[in-house]
Amino acid sequence: MERIKIAPGVHLSCDPADKFNRCRISIHFLFPAKRQTATAHALLPLVMERGYADCPDMTQLTKELARLYGADLTVEGRPMGCSRNFCVSVTGIKDKFALCGEPLTRRYAKLALGVAFHPYLVEGAFDPEAVSIEKQMLKRALEDEFNDKRLYCMRQAAREFYGDSPAGIRQEGYLDEVDGLTGEELMQAYREMLRTASIELIVLGCTPAQTDAVRDALLEELAQVERAPAERTGFIAMPRQETVHKVERFEMVQSKLCMAFTLGQPADLEQMSVYRLAMALYGGSVTSRLFLNVREKMHLCYYCSSSFQSFTGSMVVNSGIEHADAARAEEAILKELSDLREGPITDEELEDCRRGLLSGMAGVEDTLGGIESWYYMEILRGGKIYTPQQSRQALLAVTKDQVRAVLRQFSLSVSYLLTGNEEEEPHV
Amino acid sequence: MFDDQITALECAADQWRTLPSGLTVVVRPMPEYSGTHAILATRFGSIDRNFRLGEQEFSLPAGVAHFLEHKMFEDEEGDAFAKFAKTGANANAFTSFDRTCYVFTATEQLDEGLDVLLGMVTHPYFTQGTIDKEQGIIGQEIKMYEDNPDWRLITGLCECLYYEHPIRSDIAGTCESIAQITPEMLYACCDAFYAPGNMVLAVAGRTSMEQVVAACARAGLDAPRPEKRPVRLWAEEPLTPAATSKTIRMAVAKPCFGLGFKEKPLPAGDLRDELLYDILCGCICGGMSPLYRRLYDQGLVNPGFGGEVLRVDGCCCILFTGESEQPDEVCRMLCEEIERVRAEGVDREVFTLYKNVKYGQMMENLENVEDAAGQIADFALSNQTVVQQIAALADLTAEDADRAMAEILRPERMARMDILPDGSAPEEEEE
Repeated sequence: MERIKIAPGVHLSCDPADKFNRCRISIHFLFPAKRQTATAHALLPLVMERGYADCPDMTQLTKELARLYGADLTVEGRPMGCSRNFCVSVTGIKDKFALCGEPLTRRYAKLALGVAFHPYLVEGAFDPEAVSIEKQMLKRALEDEFNDKRLYCMRQAAREFYGDSPAGIRQEGYLDEVDGLTGEELMQAYREMLRTASIELIVLGCTPAQTDAVRDALLEELAQVERAPAERTGFIAMPRQETVHKVERFEMVQSKLCMAFTLGQPADLEQMSVYRLAMALYGGSVTSRLFLNVREKMHLCYYCSSSFQSFTGSMVVNSGIEHADAARAEEAILKELSDLREGPITDEELEDCRRGLLSGMAGVEDTLGGIESWYYMEILRGGKIYTPQQSRQALLAVTKDQVRAVLRQFSLSVSYLLTGNEEEEPHV
Repeated sequence: MFDDQITALECAADQWRTLPSGLTVVVRPMPEYSGTHAILATRFGSIDRNFRLGEQEFSLPAGVAHFLEHKMFEDEEGDAFAKFAKTGANANAFTSFDRTCYVFTATEQLDEGLDVLLGMVTHPYFTQGTIDKEQGIIGQEIKMYEDNPDWRLITGLCECLYYEHPIRSDIAGTCESIAQITPEMLYACCDAFYAPGNMVLAVAGRTSMEQVVAACARAGLDAPRPEKRPVRLWAEEPLTPAATSKTIRMAVAKPCFGLGFKEKPLPAGDLRDELLYDILCGCICGGMSPLYRRLYDQGLVNPGFGGEVLRVDGCCCILFTGESEQPDEVCRMLCEEIERVRAEGVDREVFTLYKNVKYGQMMENLENVEDAAGQIADFALSNQTVVQQIAALADLTAEDADRAMAEILRPERMARMDILPDGSAPEEEEE
C-alpha cells in the first residue's frame, strides 16, 4: 500500500491489488466526536445512502447499483475513540468482467464522489422528505437495539463505562433527539464534517491511471470546500474506578454478561503486538483461557470472548450464560485473568496463540476489506504505519513477561448483566 | 449473454476429481494469495432425522447432526482445535438443515492442516462422558437462539407450514432431544453420512489439486470404499400448511412478522428454480420493487424486510420476514403485490437487473479464499459448478418467472407467524 499526502489533511492510499475480482474506492472522513451533533451524524449516513444530486431517488439509485452488477455503496459512521469515522465507499467487479464493456470503475468513482460531495438538497438543506423518512428509520433502529440482547448488553455496558467522556458519545445517536432534527441541522453537521475532517482516499484494485483520475476528481471537489482540518484526537483511557455492577431483568432465555475493563492509561502504540498476544491468550481465540476453561472445561457458556480497543485503552469480555450461573461466570472470567497475571503461562499455549495470530496476519492482504481496515487502523493510530509483515516480526519478539505486564494493567470498571425474571437472584 | 463473458468463465473455472473412495474433491488454485481455505462438507444436516442405510432404518432425535459436529473435534488424544493450533490454522464448523461443514484457513503448514481435518472426520471418537460434557455448551447455544426473534420467525414458520417434515425442528434440537444422544447413535450417523461418497472437499487458495489429493491419500481416502448411500426418509406432505398462523410473545421492542408459502419440493440438484424463486423474491419486495418503496416510505418496514427461499430435500418454502408496528397492513400489501405480479407479469427491467446482481455476487464470491471455497462447496454438494450456475443464470428469462408465478406463492399455501412484544422491553430513556 502506498500513501501520499495530496492536500493539507488529505491523503491517498492505494494498492493495485491485481489478484482481486473487484475494486474499491473509499473516502474516509475523520473528525472529533461532538455531543451536540451526535444524532445528526448518526442520521447522515442513512440520508446520504439513499440518493444524491445526480440520482436523488432511492429506488433509482438501487437500480443504478444493479446496473453496475450489484456494486455495493456503503455510507457508514463508526466510533474511533473520541473521533468519528464517516466513510463513503463503492465496491464492485472490475471492468474486465462487465458484460457489455462498461467502464465500471469510472462510474464507481463518480458515484462515491457524488454521494460524498453532492448530496441531494432542497433549498440548501437535505431533502425534507428523505430526512423525515430516515428519521423514522433511525428511531426504529434505536428502539430495536433491544431485540439483539447481546448488542444491547454491550451498548449498555459501554454507556456505563464511558459516562460523559467524549469516547462515550453515542455513535448510534440519541433517541429523544431524533424527532427534533431538521434538514438544516443535518446540513450544518455535514458541512462541519467536510470542513474539519482529515480525509483518507483509499483506492484498491484500480490501475494507476484510474487511481490518478479518482485523486484528481477528489481534489477538484475539495477545491470547492473551505477546509480547516481539526487536530486529531489521541488515545485516551478511562480512569480506574470501583467496579459498578448493573443488572437489568427481562423475559429472556439466556443471560448476557458484558464486563468492561480499563488500562487506566492510554494504550502504548509500541505495545500493539503485546496487546494482540495478550488478547489471544486471555479470550480472543480458541486457544485462549476463556475459551478452553470457561467454555470447554466449565461448560458455562457457548461464547465467552475478550477484545481490546486501542483508542480507549479498554477491554471487553462478553458471554452468554444460564441465569443462575451469572456470578460463577463473572468469577471464572476474573480468575482466568488473575491466573494469567500471577500464575504460570506455558510455552505451548503462548506459542499456539502466537501462531494463530501470525497466520491470521499473513492472510490480511487476501481480502479488500482486510487490506483497507488494516492500513486505515494503522493510519488512525497515528504512529508509524506497519505492514502486516512488519507486525508479524514484532509479534515474534513478544515475551510472556510483556503479556503478563499488560494484563496486570487491566482493572474491571463495569459488569453489566441482562438476566431473566427468575426468582433466583444472580448474586452479583 | 453471461456465457459470452470469457474472462468471467475462465475466472470461475475450478478443478474437479472424484477419488476411488467416492470423495468429490474440488480445488480452486489461487496462487497469488497467502492463505488457503478448506471445507469438508457432508450431506448430513438437521433434516436427517429418519434415514435408511442398506436394509436398516434409523430414527434420530432432533439436533444430532449439530451435536455430532461439535463432537467431531474430539478424539482419544484431545481435541482437534489444539491440533489446528499447532499449524496456526483457524478452524471452525457449522451445521445447517441439510449439511455439516468443517472448515479451516491456513497460511502455513497446509499439509498438516489438511491432515487434521481429514483425520478428525475419518476417525470419530465418542464416549458417553464426552457426550455428557457437551450438553451444557450446546444447551447454551440453543438458548442463545431462543432469544433471537429472527430465528424464531423462521422456525415458527416452518412449524406452521409443515406437518411432519424435519425442517420443523431447530437445527440444534432442544435440551431434551440432545439428552437422548448416545455414542452408538453418533457412530451410526458417521457410518452413514461421513462415508466419502457422501462428502465434498473444496479447497481454494495457495494450493493445487495434487497437494489436496495427496492429503486425501494420506488419510486413506484414495482407496475404493464400499458404496454407502444413506437415503433420507420423510413423509410426503400435502401442499396445504399444517397451521395457518402462530403467535408468540417475547422480549422484543416491536412486533415481528413472517409470511411463509409452502411450495412443491424441488428435485435434488435443481438449483435453477431456487435461483429463479430467489430473483422473484427480489422482484416482489426487494429494494428495486415498487412495494418495498411504498412500505419504506410509509415507515411500515425497515431495511431488514425481505424474502428468502428455504429449500432442502422434501421441502421448499418462500419466507418473507420483517418487523413492523403494522404487520397486518404489511402482510396485506405483500399479498396484493404477489397477486399483481402474478396477473401482470414481473417487471422486465427489474428482473434483468436482479440477474445482473446475481452475476456480480458470483464473481465476488470467487474473490477471496473463504468465499470461493464456500461457493464451490455449495454448488458441488448439488453436483454443480460455478460455471454451470453462471450458465443457468444466463438462461433465466422473465417468461420463466411469469410461468413460475402461476404455481408459487399461492394464498392457500400461506401461513403467518407473529412475535409480539411481551411488554418487558425498556421504555424510552429520559435524559
